[in-house]
Amino acid sequence: KNQVRNTLDATLNLQSFDSQLVERHNKPEVELKTSKELLLTPIVIPKSETEGVLIEPSVNSLRISIKIKQSDEIEKILTKKFTRFLCQRAEQFKILRRKPIEGYDISFLITNTNTEQMFKHKIIDFIISFLDDIDKEINDMKLAVNARARSTAENFLKNF
Amino acid sequence: MILLEIENRVVRETLDVRFATAAGSKPEPVTVIVADFDGVQYHIHNPGGDKTKVQVSIAMKFYKELEQFSALDLLRAEYGDHLCEKAENGYNVSLIYDLTSLPADPAARDLLSKKAASLKRNCFATVFMKYFEWQQSGETEHKRAVIHYRDDETMYVEAQHDRVTVIFSTVFKDEDDIVIGKVFMQEFKEGRKATGANPQILFSHKNPPLELQKTPGARSGDNIGYITFVLFPRHFTSATRDNTINLIHTLRNYLHYHIKCTKAYIHSRMRAKTTEFLKVLNRARPDSDSKAQKKTITGKTFNK
Repeated sequence: KNQVRNTLDATLNLQSFDSQLVERHNKPEVELKTSKELLLTPIVIPKSETEGVLIEPSVNSLRISIKIKQSDEIEKILTKKFTRFLCQRAEQFKILRRKPIEGYDISFLITNTNTEQMFKHKIIDFIISFLDDIDKEINDMKLAVNARARSTAENFLKNF
Repeated sequence: MILLEIENRVVRETLDVRFATAAGSKPEPVTVIVADFDGVQYHIHNPGGDKTKVQVSIAMKFYKELEQFSALDLLRAEYGDHLCEKAENGYNVSLIYDLTSLPADPAARDLLSKKAASLKRNCFATVFMKYFEWQQSGETEHKRAVIHYRDDETMYVEAQHDRVTVIFSTVFKDEDDIVIGKVFMQEFKEGRKATGANPQILFSHKNPPLELQKTPGARSGDNIGYITFVLFPRHFTSATRDNTINLIHTLRNYLHYHIKCTKAYIHSRMRAKTTEFLKVLNRARPDSDSKAQKKTITGKTFNK
């Protein structure tokens, strides 16, 4: 967790950088990957074998991809539904990317405009709390499904 | 709300209203077409425009399969004179109620409407009753009953020397349903340890269970599940028989109803969580912090 925070702190110094290829355009370089010198090295911070965070920084934008722990089928479908839900509201979230990167469950794209509009430390706080909350939420929902199944089975069977 | 109702509430209430008004004022004409679970349709109307009679008819796609189990006999025993000899056009069974000759006692009238509303359940009951009888009398040579109660789903009933097995095949249209369905069936399987009285329940995903391996037409696939109930004689003594039939014939609908409820619950939780995330994120925006309103001494207000 602290590693993620430190990395974000270091890499979130974004500044506006006009595109070198097309005049008058300002694009997030991490998405386009047009010029090698503008990109910094991507960093992978694994929490375990199945979970991890990928951070790809560049001069004016930062991409964070998260892989959430999904140990059984029900966690898989819950994660899928939840991330789809969030991505549909990407417009409201501003920093959320509509499609996750290959191999990951959800991705955030933070550009220099975002850092100019929002406090940097608050963005980092949000990402960190997001990592915690999403794991907790998936667990809670799985427990709720199991509890529901148990009570419906009990109610049915006790009538015999 | 956890258990599904056995009777059809629409039929019950329509008849109740008709019976109540019949006692006092002039009866009004009635025409109601209602759909019920498993593709069953009810039709309530006045035959031939005669407002003093009310006819309740039911249409089920699989009635022919029920007929082999002398469905009419059981229905006759249950409904007596109210059963029509020939069913209405396009329907399988019809009951007729003469509003002028109803019993005066409201409790007895209640019973009549309750029986009419249970028409679908009684049709299902015919199959079960027959198999219970055969099991009790020890006849085991009768072949398995196959009833296609829905387009893609079938029910198999078989009597053996010490038990009756009922197997439902069910289709999960949505792949998330399959996962949630498996969780539910896991609980059903293990739930029997709680009380000793309930029947043994087995679940088989994708492939038909051993008993059905040789049956043609038993489907297999990723989204197909088979639920097997093993009923022992204590489940169909004359006291418990009705209860058992009530519970078993609505099981498939019960299961799917609860799967859908679970999905709706998950959705509402996710919605709540996303609004929470949004709130946290918005704390990061400096201009959404509260605008301090300041006043000067003269009374002019401005935003800082």
